[in-house]
This record gives sequence, C-alpha cells and structure tokens, in this order.
Amino acid sequence: MTSLALKSLWARKVRALTTMLAVVIGVAFVAGTYILTDTTFAAFDEIFEDSLAKTDVVISAKDEVRQESGEVPSFGADLLPKVKQVRGVSVAAGQIFTPGGFFDEENEQIGSKFAPKFITSILPEALETQTYTEGRLPRDASEAALDQDAAEEAGLGLGDTLKLASVERVAAYRIVGLTRLGDASWGGASIAGLVLPEAQRITGKRGEFDQIAIAAAGVSEATLKQRVERVVPSSVLVETAKQNAERNSDQIREDIGFLRIALLVFAFVALFVGAFLIFNTFSITVAQRIREFGMLRTLGASRRQILSSVVIEALAIGLLGALVGLLAGYGIAVGLNALFVAIGIDLPTTALVTKDRTIVVSLLIGIGVTLVSSFIPALRSTRVPPIAALLAIELPHSRRRGLVTAAAAVLLGVAGLAMLLAGLFGGADGGAAAGLMGGGAVVVILGVSLFSPRLVRPLASVAGKPLEIARRLTGRLARENTQRNPARTAVTAAALMIGLAVVVFVTVFAAGIKSSIATAVDESFQGELVIQNSDGFSPISPRTAPAAARVSGVELVSSLRAAQAKLLDGGGGKPRVSSLSRNADAVLNIDWTDGGPETLRRLTDGEAILNKSFADGNDLALGDRVRFLTQIGAKPELEVVGEFEDKAGLLGSVIVTQGLMARQFDQRDDLIDFVKLTPGADAARVQASLAALMKRDFPVAEVRNQQELKENQEEQINQLLGLIYALLGLAVIVSLFGIANTLALSIHERTRELGMLRAIGMSRRQVRTMIRYEAVITALIGALLGMVLGVIFAALIAQPLKDEGFALSYPVGTLVALLVFAAIAGVLAAIAPARRASRLNVLESLQYE
Amino acid sequence: MENSNGQVVQASGVSRRFGEGAAAVDALVDVSTAFDRGRFTAIMGPSGSGKSTLMHILAGLDKPTAGTVVLDGQEITSLDDTELTKLRRDKLGFVFQFFNLLPVLTAEENLVLPLSIAGRKPDQAWLDQLVDTVGLGDRRTHRPSELSGGQQQRVAVARALVSKPTVVFADEPTGNLDSKASSDVLRLLRHAVDDFGQTVIMVTHDPAAAAHADRLITLRDGRIVHDGAPGSADEVIELMKTID
Ligand SMILES: Nc1ncnc2c1ncn2[C@@H]1O[C@H](COP(=O)(O)OP(=O)(O)OP(=O)(O)O)[C@@H](O)[C@H]1O
Ligand SMILES: [Mg+2]
Repeated sequence: MTSLALKSLWARKVRALTTMLAVVIGVAFVAGTYILTDTTFAAFDEIFEDSLAKTDVVISAKDEVRQESGEVPSFGADLLPKVKQVRGVSVAAGQIFTPGGFFDEENEQIGSKFAPKFITSILPEALETQTYTEGRLPRDASEAALDQDAAEEAGLGLGDTLKLASVERVAAYRIVGLTRLGDASWGGASIAGLVLPEAQRITGKRGEFDQIAIAAAGVSEATLKQRVERVVPSSVLVETAKQNAERNSDQIREDIGFLRIALLVFAFVALFVGAFLIFNTFSITVAQRIREFGMLRTLGASRRQILSSVVIEALAIGLLGALVGLLAGYGIAVGLNALFVAIGIDLPTTALVTKDRTIVVSLLIGIGVTLVSSFIPALRSTRVPPIAALLAIELPHSRRRGLVTAAAAVLLGVAGLAMLLAGLFGGADGGAAAGLMGGGAVVVILGVSLFSPRLVRPLASVAGKPLEIARRLTGRLARENTQRNPARTAVTAAALMIGLAVVVFVTVFAAGIKSSIATAVDESFQGELVIQNSDGFSPISPRTAPAAARVSGVELVSSLRAAQAKLLDGGGGKPRVSSLSRNADAVLNIDWTDGGPETLRRLTDGEAILNKSFADGNDLALGDRVRFLTQIGAKPELEVVGEFEDKAGLLGSVIVTQGLMARQFDQRDDLIDFVKLTPGADAARVQASLAALMKRDFPVAEVRNQQELKENQEEQINQLLGLIYALLGLAVIVSLFGIANTLALSIHERTRELGMLRAIGMSRRQVRTMIRYEAVITALIGALLGMVLGVIFAALIAQPLKDEGFALSYPVGTLVALLVFAAIAGVLAAIAPARRASRLNVLESLQYE
Repeated sequence: MENSNGQVVQASGVSRRFGEGAAAVDALVDVSTAFDRGRFTAIMGPSGSGKSTLMHILAGLDKPTAGTVVLDGQEITSLDDTELTKLRRDKLGFVFQFFNLLPVLTAEENLVLPLSIAGRKPDQAWLDQLVDTVGLGDRRTHRPSELSGGQQQRVAVARALVSKPTVVFADEPTGNLDSKASSDVLRLLRHAVDDFGQTVIMVTHDPAAAAHADRLITLRDGRIVHDGAPGSADEVIELMKTID
C-alpha cells in the first residue's frame, strides 16, 4: 500500500506540489518567526555580554518600575570613591548611558527616528570594550566618538561635526574616533562616546552616574559583589556582569517577546488557510479516484488499506512540505527583518540561529496540519463500496448528513461566538482573554465554512450577476460551474475568506482608531499647537515650555509630564500617571465626571484625580486612598478627589501635582507642551517661529498643529496596517493557490465537456474567460463572507471599548477596494488553469476518459 | 444554395498515420471521396477501421498526414485554431455519443448554445420549429439530468441543427440508446435532411441506423471498400458480413 500511495502521489505531481506549497508557506512562516526572534535575542545577548566583557561587577540605580521611555534613574557620583576602596577592586569607573538625539551639522536627525541612540561616557581602557576602527579616543569636551555603522549610514567621518542632544541641552562635537563592539549588528541603534564630565554635562547628570563598572583583582565576581554591596546604599543595585547581562536580556525578551507571538499569530492564519487547501485537494482527489478505490476493494483491499494509502500520501506531503518549509524559513526570517526595517523597526542581528525547537516544531506542525486536514477525505475514501469500480457513482450525500452538517455548523458558530464574548466580557486577564477571543474566532470561522456550501448558490448568483450582464454566456457558465459543487467552491472560498476576514477586521478597527483619535483631538484640545519629542514618546526639556511662551503670538504654554507607576494593593499593569501645569484648563478640555477645573487647580501633593475607567476597573471611588510604587521606589499614598473621562488617551490613568511628579516619580521633564495662541495670531507664522526655536535650541522637540498631530498618529497606524497587510499577504497567497488548485482539478474533471464546448464553436479566449470568471466568482464569495465576518468581529471587539470613546467607522472605500482586489486576485489565480483549459486539444479532450 | 446539389466536402488522398517507426498505425490510407449537399451519408466498418478518424479529419478536428479536405470551398487542413473555431461556429454541427449536453444549462439553453457562444440571437420561429420537431414540449426548462438518454440525444441533434451548419457530423449518435430512442434520433436526422436540406455525415455500427441514410460508405483497414446506397437494414447486415 505504501508504494501504491507514493506512486499515486507521483502520478499527481502537480496537485501534490500545490498542496505541499500550502504546508511549505505555513511552516516557513513559523520557522522564520523562530529563527528571526531567536537571532534577535541572541544578538542582544551578544551585545550585552560584549559590552561587559572586561567588567566583573556593575552598580546601577534600582529601577522599580520600568518606563515606556526606557529612561533609568541615575545615582550620586559620590559613591565611586567608596567603591574604589573596596578590597579586590582593581578599576572602578562611573559611566553615563543615556538615550539622546543624534544630529548632523544642519540639525537634521541621523538615522531612524525610533531607533534607540545613546550618549555614553568613554571608560578607562581596563574596562572599555569598544574598539576604535579609525581615529582615537575623545580627549576633551569638544570631541566625540561615534559607532562606525551609524557614521557610515549618515555619511559622517573623522573631523565631521556631530550634534548630540539630551532632553536637557544640545552641543556640537568633532568626531575623532569611530568605534565598534563585537560582531553583532546593532540594527538601527547607535552610540556616541564623550569624555565623562562632558557626558554628565550634556545629559544634565552633573555629579551623577548611570552606572559604575568594576573590574576585580584576584577575587571572584560573586565575592566582589558581596563586598561592594556592603558599602552602597539600598537605592542602588549591585550585580555581577553576568547577572546584569541576564537581566538586560530578560527585559528585552519581555519588551519584544510580543513580536514573536504576533508573528506566530500570522503564521497560524497562513497555516489555517493552508489546511483548507489541503482538505480541498484531498477531498477532490478522493472523489476523482472513486473508481480506483472501488477497483482496489474488488481486488480484496480492506478499508484500512485504502485509508492507510491516503494517510501515507498525506504524511509524505506533510513531511516533505515541512522540510522545505524549514529551509524556506531562513528566507522568511530575512524577509521579515527587511519588512521591519522598512517600517523603522531596525533590530540587532547576528548569525541566524536555529534551535532544535525550531526544527521540531516545524516538522510537527507541517505533518500535523497535513494529517488533520486530510483526515476527513481519507475517511471518506474508506466508504467507497467495491461496486464503485463498475459504476460512475458519486459518494453519497445523504440528506440526513446535510442536516447534521448544518446543525454542527450552527453549533460551532454559536460556541465560537460564546467564546468570543466570554473573552471580551468575561473579565479574564490579557493572555487568557486574547486566547478565548482568538479561539472563538477560529471556531466561528470553522462554523461558517461548514455552513457556507449553503451560501454558495445565492452568493455566486450575486457575485456572478455583473459578469453575466457583461459577458452573457461565459459569465453564466462560470457562475453555474461554481454552483455545481457547492462544497468544493465553499472550501476554496473559505480559504480566502479567512485572510480577508482578518484584513477587514484590522482595517475597520484601524479606521475606528483613526477616527476616534481625530474626534478626541478635536474635542479635547483648545490649544492650537503641541510640542513633543519627535519620536512621540520620549520626554523633552522642561525649559522648552518657558522658551516657547516667550515667542510672540503665544499666549501661554502648559505642560504635561508622565511616568509609569505600579498600583499597590490592587490589580497589575502599569498605569500612566500624569501631572499638569496649573494653567491646563486653558488648553485642555477635561471631561469631568467628578469635580471640575477647580479640583485640578486646588490639587495638593497628597491627592490624585483618577481616570474613570481606571477607577472603575480597580473599584476605587472618591475619598479612597491609593498607593503607588514609583520608578525610584517611593510609595506615595494619595486620596482620590476627582474623576474624569479621557477619550484622547492623553492624561493616562492618574493625575497628580507637578511637585509630587518631580519628587516621588522622579520626572522633571515634559512629555507634551500645549501651546495656546494669542487671539488673532497667525497660527502658521507662530508655528514657524516655534519650529525655528526648537531646531536651534531643542532639536529633539517638534512642533505640531492639530492636523499634524492627527496625521502623525494616522501615519503610525497606517505603518502598522501596512505591516499587518504584508504579513497577511502570505495567507492570501496560499488561498490563491487554493483557488488555482481547485480550478485545475475541476478542469481536469470537465475535460470532455470543455472539448465539446470547443467543438461547437467556443474559442480559446471564451474558455479562458469562463475559467477566469469562475475564479473571480469564487474569490468574491470568499471576499464577501470575509468582509461580513471581519466587520462582525470588529463590531464585537469594539463593544467594550465604547466607554473609552472608541467608535467604529466603516471605511467603505477601502472595503470596495478590497472587493476589487479580491476579483483581481481571482484573475491572477486563474492564469495557469485558464491557460491550460484553453490549450486543451479538442479531439483528445473529446476522447478523454 | 439550399437545393443546389454541389459537393460540400471533398477529401482527396487523405492518409492518417499514428505514431512512428515499427509501432506506426495507418488509420487511413489514401482516402478520396466527396459528399453532396443535402444528403445523409452513413459510414460503417469494423472497429478500428478508421471511421472516427475519417470523420475527425473531415470536420477539421484532426489533421491528415497527407491529402487535403475542402469544406464548402475552403481548404481546412491548414487552418489555425482561430480559423477552425470560426469554421465550427459557422459551418459545422456535431452530435457525439456521450457528454453532449452541459449539465448546468437547461435543455433549451443547451439547444441554442452554439448561437450563444457565437453571440448570435436565435430566430424565434426556427427555434420553435426545432423544439417542436424534437418533441421537447414542456421540458424546455429541464436540466439534462432530468431528461432520458433519447431526449438528451434529440436535444443534441437539434443543437447541431440550430445554427443551420453546412454539415452535421454525428459519431455513433445512437450508440448508447435503445432501439426506440435510436429510431427517434435517426428520424430526426432524416427529417433534417429531407425538410431542411441539411447535409449529414454519420458514423455508426448499427445497420438499422445506416438504413436511414441515402448513402453508405464502408471502411476497412483505413480504406473505402464499399460506397453505395444502403438499402434495408438486412441488406446492410449482409454487406457487413462480406467485409468482416
Ligand atoms: N490518437 C491515436 N493514437 C494512436 N492510434 C490511434 C489514435 N486514434 C486512433 N488510432 C488508431 O487508428 C485506427 C483507427 O481508429 P478509429 O478510432 O478511427 O477507429 P473506428 O473505426 O472509429 O473504431 P471504433 O468503431 O472502435 O470506434 C485504430 O487502429 C486506432 O487504434
Ligand atoms: Mg470510433
């Protein structure tokens, strides 16, 4: 039976190849995801280890609550002399390692806006691990070293000017050295080195360090660590170099771990679509081989033997597909990275990493998906009675089975919906809720697919109408052909439906976010202009606001500061705490549910105003006391004195005073400055002079008007959308192969019929048109179903967000464009089958058995 | 044109060889013959004698290895696919043994299919006449699967007639039918020849079918061994005995 199975596979090479392709693409996506993320993590580990190669013990400030901006607290430099006296310390040096902005002579930003850039102090040779590929170490406050990749990228060399800007100030340096660290590429990240006092000055950390690096002499790391711990205060953390590198790499895994999960979700979509293709190909093949199976049965083959022959075919396809997919995974890993770089996520890379787990998972998934999807067709093959050898029979479709299928479909649909709703409203936490919703969506899709054969007739009539009107006969025949075998058309269409459902869901949801942001910006800003860090999330200097206020045409500037903190005695998460200038009500329209502008004006250091959804979520009410843990380990206890609603998502969860923000949350820099213009001032002129001021004195800051603010947000969402579309592209491609495969198989069945049509005068062109239309109608059925599902999913998931001002908006233009896209995709999928059908030799087709 | 008795199909020196070298099969050897307009010709012969091959070459579905075929004044053995498609649309009608009708269309839609393919409108009077002759009556809107084999084949004949082609080719049109249904189909073909002046060339194994024709050509080993009036069915059986 094995050799029969393999022979029959060989005899049907083309369909076996397309089926395999579905496995290959899905597995390649999974393997590529693992390879890429493993490589990125390995690269980070390498960078952390390389940079501490000569260091044995590291001292840094405790970072109790990690901040979105990535900033870490610094600590007093007076610790260094004490550390130096510890027995066993050979060298100890303070270091600055602070995010900043890099600019060229014209104050134009170097490298990608979002990539991390660090201003650092150079270490004594005994600790320094960066090597100079060109030039020498900076010697005074006017000189800087820049990493070689960044210099190359920006076209800078020795002697050129490099401007560095911290939140605090900006200064120009002459590049005297180019550096490199280890073998890993840093991706978009870059690093500049200054002499220590200058690094402290520019970052506003005079008398402070970000960390102290220590080299041991004659003692172990662990012993030295213990000795150092005895002389330092509890506000700092002492780690061995190894511990420090491990903590950093754990943090990175936490920060970008979501990337792996997100990519795996898309890989799953591609696999799911592939499963439909495999199922369909096997079903059609089994149906076409009925006579053969019947013949085998008359020769004495048992049901079991028939079953195993089909299963062995599936195994062979799955195994081969998984192996090829694993190899293709390397290509996907490189491609995904290129895709990320294109949208500005330029992660470090090193030699591609293949873990055993990647290989095992790829093989299991490839074989598993193929076996599961071919299982039902394989079972059907065992139902072929021996008599089938003699008669041209079809496998029975009993009415009862139809009813059972319909009932199962409805049941699945309801169960899936229930899971979705439970995930949405059940109050499960993040991961579990997402799992429930994702699982629910999958079950709903299965239900719809199972039910969709019943929808094929009406949908094909709708989708085929325009074609029938345009091209009477070919359109008509194409439509009829798609309705001939509704189950087959339905499964083919369902594959495209899945991809489109996700595309439409994401599109509708993103449109909702965009329009909600636009409304929120319009409603909550009274100030015409805002000043922000150009990356959108890092802070800007507190001196920006006073400087801006002096520009003519500016009536007042109000600033907002923010920090992440932990809510003690309560739920998890890291609520954002904000503080506002006293004049905030001149620029912000706060939607008070308890209290009013005077609450904010009279706010004391012992009080807090809460976002209503945060208060409700944590069962907090007016008069309650809340405690937070801040980044520097402080635990302020505050009384709730007001509540507000925040549709723009500007104010975060909690509002405290600026004083408390500085002292307890260690935040003295602004996140956003809101600018109100004097009545009658020319907004464009004021914006231009503010922009000039920023470019000169605060190059990390950018002035935006309301329109630009909205556009900036929109642009970010569009970029993300672009990425998601690209990632879904693979799933859509698989479904197109599905359409092509189904068409090819049904053309094969219809050979004689096509010969007859040609004999009575149908031209090649008409045959091509007919096949093409069949593909278009199938694609449109998938697209229509996908759209309905996508819109329903979006509407459901938007439900709980309504309170936060999220309103869905339906991008009708985009949806129509997607339909057109689906039709074009159908045309593409039909190219090969249509060509084949039109080239059939009339006489041979007529005689075809 | 309808009644002029010119020759509509002329085959001269037609040979057809399949394969090469030792395995080559000569399906037709130097066959020359001509078919008059408005006549019903039957082609008979033992299995493998080249009947189908001859018909395919006359209809332009296959090309001879040697010789020419002129159909309605046009040399057809050198036409390309586009020209052949046009030829089939304008001048030829076909009836096959199986798979004549599209299962997705109704009987009437199948009947007018050649016209729909060519993008022409059927002449309603002609259509009614055909439907009437075929005896389709109230089954016009049935799908082929709801018709009997005989009914299906009568629709196929009507379809071959609908575009008023120069020649109708039929390859064993009754091969699959019982004697009652067969004689209905044959009477229909006869009627087309007598009343509409249609030219019909039919390949058959059935002496009773051949007896409906005006002329009987008999093939053996790719050559014409007899050409004359068929006479009665019994006479045809006698004739065939002498050939086998
Ligand atoms: N495509 C082909 N390739 C090779 N040989 C062929 C091909 N078609 C026909 N032949 C051979 O040519 C000869 C004539 O075949 P043809 O089909 O014309 O016979 P026929 O008289 O129609 O027979 P039947 O009554 O069985 O239909 C046969 O020997 C046949 O094997
Ligand atoms: Mg034959």
